[in-house]
Amino acid sequence: MSAVVIPAGAPLRNPWLVIGKGVLMALLVAAGILVVYPLVWMALGGFKSNSQIFSDPFALPDRWSFDNYVAAWNQGVRNFLFSSLLVTVVSTITTVFISAWTAYGLTRTQMFGKPVIVGFVLGGMMLSPTVALVPLVQMMQSLGLYNTHWALIILYTAFRVPFTTFLIRAYMLDLPRDLDEAAMIDGASEGQIFRKIMLPLCRSIIVSCIILHILFAWNEYIFAMIFTNQIDVQTLPVGLTSLMAKHGTNFAEVFAAMTISALPIVVIFFFTQRYFIRGLTEGIGK
Amino acid sequence: MQRSIHSTAAMIAAVSVISMSWGAFPATASAAGDAPVADPAAKVDYSGKLTILTKFGLQLLSPYFVNVAKAYEAQHPGVKIELIQENDDSIKGKTKTLVASNSLPDIYFSWTGTWGENFIRGNRAVDLSKVIGPETEWGKTLSPAAVKAFSYNGKYFGVPLYLDAKFMGYNKKMFADLGIEPPKDFDALLKACDALKGSGVVPIAIGNKESWPLVHYLGQLLAYNVPTETLERDFNPKTATFNHPGYIAALGQYRSLQERCAGGAQVNGLSYQTALQSMSDRKAAMYYQEIIEFDQAATKETALKPEEFGFFKLPAPSDAKGSVTALEGAPEGYMVNAKAKNVPLAIDFLKFLTSQENGRTLSAPPYGQPSAVIGGADKTRINPNVAEGMEEIAKASYLMPWLDTVNHPRVAAAWLSGLQAFAGGSMSAEDLLASVRKAAAAAARQ
Amino acid sequence: MTMASVTATPTRNGAALRGAVSNRSRWLRHGLLQQLAALRWGIVALIIVGWFVYYPIVDNLFVSTTTQDIFTGEVDYVGLDNYRRLLDDPVVWRALTNNGLYAVLSVIFQVFAAFVLAAIIEGLRSRAWRNFWRAVYFIPSAISTTVTGLLFYFIYQPDIGLLDALLHLLGLQNLSYTWLGDERTAIYAIIAMSQWQGFGYSTLLFTIAIQKIPRELYDAATVDGAGPLRQLFCITFPLTREMTGMMIIVTIAGAFQVFNEVMVMTGGGPNNSSQVLGTWLYEQGFNQNDMGYAAAIGVVIFLATLTTGLLQLWYTKRRRVEA
Repeated sequence: MSAVVIPAGAPLRNPWLVIGKGVLMALLVAAGILVVYPLVWMALGGFKSNSQIFSDPFALPDRWSFDNYVAAWNQGVRNFLFSSLLVTVVSTITTVFISAWTAYGLTRTQMFGKPVIVGFVLGGMMLSPTVALVPLVQMMQSLGLYNTHWALIILYTAFRVPFTTFLIRAYMLDLPRDLDEAAMIDGASEGQIFRKIMLPLCRSIIVSCIILHILFAWNEYIFAMIFTNQIDVQTLPVGLTSLMAKHGTNFAEVFAAMTISALPIVVIFFFTQRYFIRGLTEGIGK
Repeated sequence: MQRSIHSTAAMIAAVSVISMSWGAFPATASAAGDAPVADPAAKVDYSGKLTILTKFGLQLLSPYFVNVAKAYEAQHPGVKIELIQENDDSIKGKTKTLVASNSLPDIYFSWTGTWGENFIRGNRAVDLSKVIGPETEWGKTLSPAAVKAFSYNGKYFGVPLYLDAKFMGYNKKMFADLGIEPPKDFDALLKACDALKGSGVVPIAIGNKESWPLVHYLGQLLAYNVPTETLERDFNPKTATFNHPGYIAALGQYRSLQERCAGGAQVNGLSYQTALQSMSDRKAAMYYQEIIEFDQAATKETALKPEEFGFFKLPAPSDAKGSVTALEGAPEGYMVNAKAKNVPLAIDFLKFLTSQENGRTLSAPPYGQPSAVIGGADKTRINPNVAEGMEEIAKASYLMPWLDTVNHPRVAAAWLSGLQAFAGGSMSAEDLLASVRKAAAAAARQ
Repeated sequence: MTMASVTATPTRNGAALRGAVSNRSRWLRHGLLQQLAALRWGIVALIIVGWFVYYPIVDNLFVSTTTQDIFTGEVDYVGLDNYRRLLDDPVVWRALTNNGLYAVLSVIFQVFAAFVLAAIIEGLRSRAWRNFWRAVYFIPSAISTTVTGLLFYFIYQPDIGLLDALLHLLGLQNLSYTWLGDERTAIYAIIAMSQWQGFGYSTLLFTIAIQKIPRELYDAATVDGAGPLRQLFCITFPLTREMTGMMIIVTIAGAFQVFNEVMVMTGGGPNNSSQVLGTWLYEQGFNQNDMGYAAAIGVVIFLATLTTGLLQLWYTKRRRVEA
């Protein structure tokens, strides 16, 4: 597949095209540096001493010691990382499962009132978490969920089920019905069809939804800020801001902590890029 | 019109599939009535969990409560203590979230003034008069002024932990090199700044990103320029006028301080901690700080050595109309949640927290928080500067509370954002006062 | 390659079959009980979304007609007072303006600039390089706004931050500035960070849209002698119009929900100059103890997101009809 959009694939004899291409390449490289350099600076900052970060911002660290990383790890990053992992993993499972379950119901079953349910569930996509904040504070308290991982797991699930259902439903709508209808004629129950036929067929969209949800849950801030208050419940984004405030002037440690929290998600993205892009292509990209 | 909107909303709610009984509305926080009164004779049941919200989240300070809690748990194996440690910036939002969600811990940090009064108004604090009042055994072990600062309507609600006040820390060596004496009046301070600037250092590091640091400068200047009674009248939105000429004078003094001593309008871009760092890094000669920060500004690790660190009271202008012996500062302490399951245990822990031994540890490095316990400072263990500062606090004729915690939240917000605007040059002194007056009027109506 | 592309023909057969099957099943099990049992597929989502998404938002409407004292728990009905106050509150207007600025600048950078960048990337010959650039630009989008916000807070620090250091290096110290500390620049500094973080995401989406354009169109255009710019305007742009429309709406909706970056970098200051609706809601509700007023601000955010949401719905519908 030789994609040619601009510049044209014609032999580059025209000098303007050569110059044009040079300019475009320079643009790509410049944008790339603009994106990557601050991140590299952040990671390097974790190796520097406090005063070096600011007095000599472009220099490489004097020595490559992981002291700041270790210190940040022990100052709570370990706890935050654990909370983030727990909340992300559990809410991913609940969200994707509930969404697939609902999407199946909305596309393949005899459920009545489907249009209403579709409208209700997908309409949830339009509602912003900020708006629900004030009532949720009291609600979480009356449910005894305030300052627990469950508060975040439930909220992440509730606010992401609409979008995830939307993606999976769109995918299921396009799936041929031959297989599951054949199975139905053979007497398979809806539950069996869902488990044995639909879930495997939807593997690629499910993987994409998992990745999208991980990106969301790992980075979520408002809910985590308001509904958690202890070091062993807080997730990385909130933990980081409190680390920043509490460590006053030990910036090197803060840089190390920022790097630790950014790294896993960047790594996950690099390894799952293919699925991620496919998910976007099939879901949003339609 | 009102009704129709309301009934529409009601209809929406009625058709929503969710039952109203899940009760976020209406808020049923606490019923009216009197605050529970602590009983000095109550027997302590040493079991269960005790939750505490502290303001010692700063890395340097956080071990204090952790250690005290460990020691207490060791003495009473049935007790488990859970700490929520916040810092100066995060404690405000966090406390309010905890209150709004009815999950205030058993023991929680409080400032004096309107801040503390809120808890009392909402019946969220135990009346400790019978255990900590001035005539009680426990009360007598604490600084009387500090205990009194937590009294409202003649009742005592708070346990003061430490005394706090604002002083100008300075680099003695830089001053000596230029032959500058610690200034005795405000003009001398400005002149010292000119000399320091000439030598290439930042005279005063000011970081006001958080917007409360300037409130502290202004608080001290107001105490100098406005008579105390007028200030206290203005703390109450219902009687506030904010029309004493001292307000404009104080703002003018701050303006010249910022122009001659600091980096001009860029103060809003620096954080408080970054400013502190630049004094520790010997890039700035002075830094206006709380006595509880003396032990952070200069340590063995910082470029500024502890022996080079000195302090003086922000000097008063020579034509001051207010009280020149007043000092910006207030004790800070803890209250017991009216809904705490085990009030006697909470009180017992607070007694332990304010024992002489724990007081001495608190006053000494690395914490350097001047304990409110009488005799809670061991001269041989504490930083001499802290000891000297404590004497200054004892000498002060009036402790000027922080403007952002003594005022109604709306008035406080007007001061906070208005001073940022004033420092940034987008608001005049008159406009700032006008917006404070407007906020007070709105608060009075509430 | 994708399931979606294979479905075209089978679906038609499937439709016939489905008709037959559903007729049959209607005969076999048309009982109400059966239908109720089928409800189990929808009930979980209905409950969790209704309870934690819809109910609080409806409840928020009630709260906005009250003043609540969080300390005493007193609730007073004040009708539309909070909304009247909203109209009088200069910070609300500033916040709205800032959200608007966010929307406009994000559309410029995350839609139009990202489109151009995507076109350039897709014009590269080597597949490996296309993947490489796409991935590089996307990295910041994968990172939490808290991290990027803190990072840029350091970058913007006056005198000691990376940006000022860079300006000094280039001999442009006159341009050195208190980016986050000045009322005139704070919001732009924050928006700039958001563009840095967000453009890679939209670039990625556009590359996907561009990939779907049949190659033959370009080949034909090249044969006809159309230059690259012409191809960009006559083929790439029109054929990704749907994606562009969608992206504009999504970007605007996002601009009205901004919170994290402002909270982390300035907290709305100095002097509320960088306040957006979300942070002003937080400030009012959680710092100034005014839940009722905060709820009224919430209603404004709700209306803004609802409008963009409906716009999106209308756009998708219209597209379907056209297609």
